[in-house]
Amino acid sequence: MTALLTMKNLRGGYGDSDILFDLSIEVAKGEIVAIVGPNGAGKSTAMKSIFGLLDIRAGSIAIGETDITGWAPNRIVKAGICYVPQVKNIFSEMTVHENFEMGAFLRKGDYSAALDRVYNLFPDLRTKQKATAGRLSGGQRQMVAMGRALMLDPQVLLLDEPTAGLSPKYMEQIFQISRDVRDSGVAILLVEQHAKQALAFADRGYVLAAGRNRHEGPASELLADRHIAEMFLGG
Amino acid sequence: MDMHSFINFFLLPGIVQGSIYALGAIGITLVFAIMRYGHFAHGDLATFGAFIALAFTTVLGLSPYAALPLAVLATGVFAVALDRLFYAHLRAMPKIITTIASFGVALMLRSFVQVVWGVNTTSYTRGITRPENWFGIRVKSHEIVTLLVAIALVVALHLFLTRNKWGKAMRAMSDNPELALFSGVDNGKVIALTWIIAGGLCAASGFFLGLNTELKSLMGWNILLPTFAAAILGGVGRIEGAIVGGLIVGIAEELSVLVIPGEYKVMSAFGILLLVLLFRPTGLFRGKVL
Amino acid sequence: MEWITVLNYPVYLAIFICIYGCLAIGLNIQWGYAGLFNAGVAGFFAIGAYASAILTSPWAEGRLGGFDLPFPVGLVGAMLLAGLLAWPIGKICLRFRSDYLAIVTIGVAEGIRLVARSEEWLTNSARGISAIPRPFGDLPYAKAQLVYLGITALILLVAYVLVQRQAVSPWGRMMRAIRDNESAAQAMGKDVPYRRLEAFILGSALMGLAGALYVHLARTITPDAIDPMLITFLVWIMVILGGAGNNRGVLLGAIIVWVIWSTSEIVTDQLPSEYALKAKYGRMFLIGLLLQLVLRFRPEGILPEKLRKESREERPMGEQASATQATGNIIN
Ligand SMILES: Nc1ncnc2c1ncn2[C@@H]1O[C@H](COP(=O)(O)OP(=O)(O)OP(=O)(O)O)[C@@H](O)[C@H]1O
Ligand SMILES: [Mg+2]
Repeated sequence: MTALLTMKNLRGGYGDSDILFDLSIEVAKGEIVAIVGPNGAGKSTAMKSIFGLLDIRAGSIAIGETDITGWAPNRIVKAGICYVPQVKNIFSEMTVHENFEMGAFLRKGDYSAALDRVYNLFPDLRTKQKATAGRLSGGQRQMVAMGRALMLDPQVLLLDEPTAGLSPKYMEQIFQISRDVRDSGVAILLVEQHAKQALAFADRGYVLAAGRNRHEGPASELLADRHIAEMFLGG
Repeated sequence: MDMHSFINFFLLPGIVQGSIYALGAIGITLVFAIMRYGHFAHGDLATFGAFIALAFTTVLGLSPYAALPLAVLATGVFAVALDRLFYAHLRAMPKIITTIASFGVALMLRSFVQVVWGVNTTSYTRGITRPENWFGIRVKSHEIVTLLVAIALVVALHLFLTRNKWGKAMRAMSDNPELALFSGVDNGKVIALTWIIAGGLCAASGFFLGLNTELKSLMGWNILLPTFAAAILGGVGRIEGAIVGGLIVGIAEELSVLVIPGEYKVMSAFGILLLVLLFRPTGLFRGKVL
Repeated sequence: MEWITVLNYPVYLAIFICIYGCLAIGLNIQWGYAGLFNAGVAGFFAIGAYASAILTSPWAEGRLGGFDLPFPVGLVGAMLLAGLLAWPIGKICLRFRSDYLAIVTIGVAEGIRLVARSEEWLTNSARGISAIPRPFGDLPYAKAQLVYLGITALILLVAYVLVQRQAVSPWGRMMRAIRDNESAAQAMGKDVPYRRLEAFILGSALMGLAGALYVHLARTITPDAIDPMLITFLVWIMVILGGAGNNRGVLLGAIIVWVIWSTSEIVTDQLPSEYALKAKYGRMFLIGLLLQLVLRFRPEGILPEKLRKESREERPMGEQASATQATGNIIN
């Protein structure tokens, strides 16, 4: 499988201080890749680096054959990468429908098909189209956030802790939807706090610590590794 | 006090003045919400707009009402130019620096008006308009026009913000700027659009202030405080709040003479501002607090 | 006596520089050290001027006064009153970002102007207060000016030394820590609102002092003698041009700006009268433009704050603040 998204030997941080040191991650089409690791390991930072929100000092990021290192966020969106941040990932004062419309901002012409697809993925939201997004429950807000990102039919979807603070029921739902999205040919890179559950459902995984790759491999192997389980997955 | 004199002497003038504040306050609230700084040149931009309209009447011989749309457009474009010249390059710095810059722009705008048009008061039309009497309610024609145009502008803005793609992008930028960026919104365009709207409304507020009172170089500076008070009372980022806030401040000013000496009328806005900051900094409509 | 009259103009200029120097140091405490945007400098200046005028002037029909108190009492009274006015304002506004303080202080300055204009019993309204004493004011004009320059220069020096000592002390470091990264400072247990209030009151008191120094120079004061926008703005440009956060810088700013401002007046006064008035507004325009140019090409001022960099190196937290700033700028 050839990689769709490639981060190679990335070093960078905010301002003058580095957070990431020599980080390499690959995601292929139709694959879910999970990044796990302790708090402050730089998982969110790794995501932001893809989206051009970081000073990158070494290494490169590419989508397909195109080098996107240092591009501005709105160019990166056009290149087919959509991003659901860890926090503040919806337009909370706008309606659900308007959130999706903003997701389709770059689309030209009619986007009712994409809208329909998103409502099919999240049927709960169909009845809440006119509701103010910020007033929804946590799980529904997370769905709005994912739906917004899917409106552009991205090639790569970045999800930063999509299940944080959600009940097991919603967590399972989000995972299931992620699988559906993957099966439609999207590459998904996600960061998870719930490391075990994430590795249980992802195809491959990376364990990150202090801004470096620690372990990587098929998710099931990482999960089976006693050493990794003790060190990073909470026993 | 009977009903008619209450309406004629307090309510109506308050509503007219309040709509003038509202037009300015909408711009302030938009700039506050989208660019995240207080724009202190707003009052003097209103002065500028009022005098541009005056120039259209004297140079082109237009009637004041014909000059209004031209002045609105010109001031909108001018506001974009101001942003490009004086504010755009400060975006990387703390927002308060831009507020300071706007303070300087206020001085420049005012001095510009003083150099070109002088410091004496003037007006769009000579002579006194007699109020018309409708069942004991006395209202002047330009007061009616002020209200009608203000309502039309507000409705148009509302439709733009809720129906148009770029209007929604403006709201998105105010709501969650990072996410708007992640959705591919070009913030340069949103900022330019915001300035066109804020500048245009500003010119309208200056124009109506000039129409209902008189034109002078300090007219805009003098309404800066009530306009800001209106925006903060309504809730920063809330268009509907700016309108309600403007009306409340306008009416409160008129009514204030019943309890405080007339000289201090202009301080009622200041009092309202302090009360809002003390008891409800998010304003009536739960806006942002910076 | 010839030589001393030649000095009249430079002495007059220098006295004003000392007065503006006081204002600039006051604003530097607020903006330079604490990051507070006071847009009503002229209001605190006016309060100080009126306070000292009322305290020290002889009795006059129909207004408060006749205390005939000595000059130093006037100065202290001016500082106290300006500081006292700053207290509630700061209490209300300092919880928010400084935009709110700015608009409220504009209101304060406006309110003070209205009071000066309307309250006959207090300020004698438009006729103002006159016959305000000046220390050694009985000397011949030129000598009296020179002595007064000595007094203002001494007061400025004392203010400078005291403020400078504070600035390099732990207090100053703490203020800058709060300014550069409020949440980190809060996390380290600093009482941020209290510290800000302290800086705001202290700065305002110095502005009041400057007002008192002015009023004893002019010996008379009317509501229109103080152009709120002009004074406030001149002080701001002094601080920003000179270098916010650096007391020596803001004094340099006071000298440069005041010399430019008043000598350009000599030039424009030579113009025929119809142009002279326009030229005055033209000068205001240029001052506004000067601010824009400084913000664009040298935002840190001529003498930048030195400690800013060192303190960053001491505190890695400070860098995070600038980093958030840096990521913030792509967004806004
Ligand atoms: N905007 C920022 N500016 C400066 N430093 C930051 C910023 N965001 C994060 N950091 C720092 O970068 C490091 C990594 O943070 P990051 O958010 O990437 O961790 P994470 O692995 O996502 O942790 P969590 O599980 O808590 O989400 C932390 O030390 C954090 O303090
Ligand atoms: Mg994270």
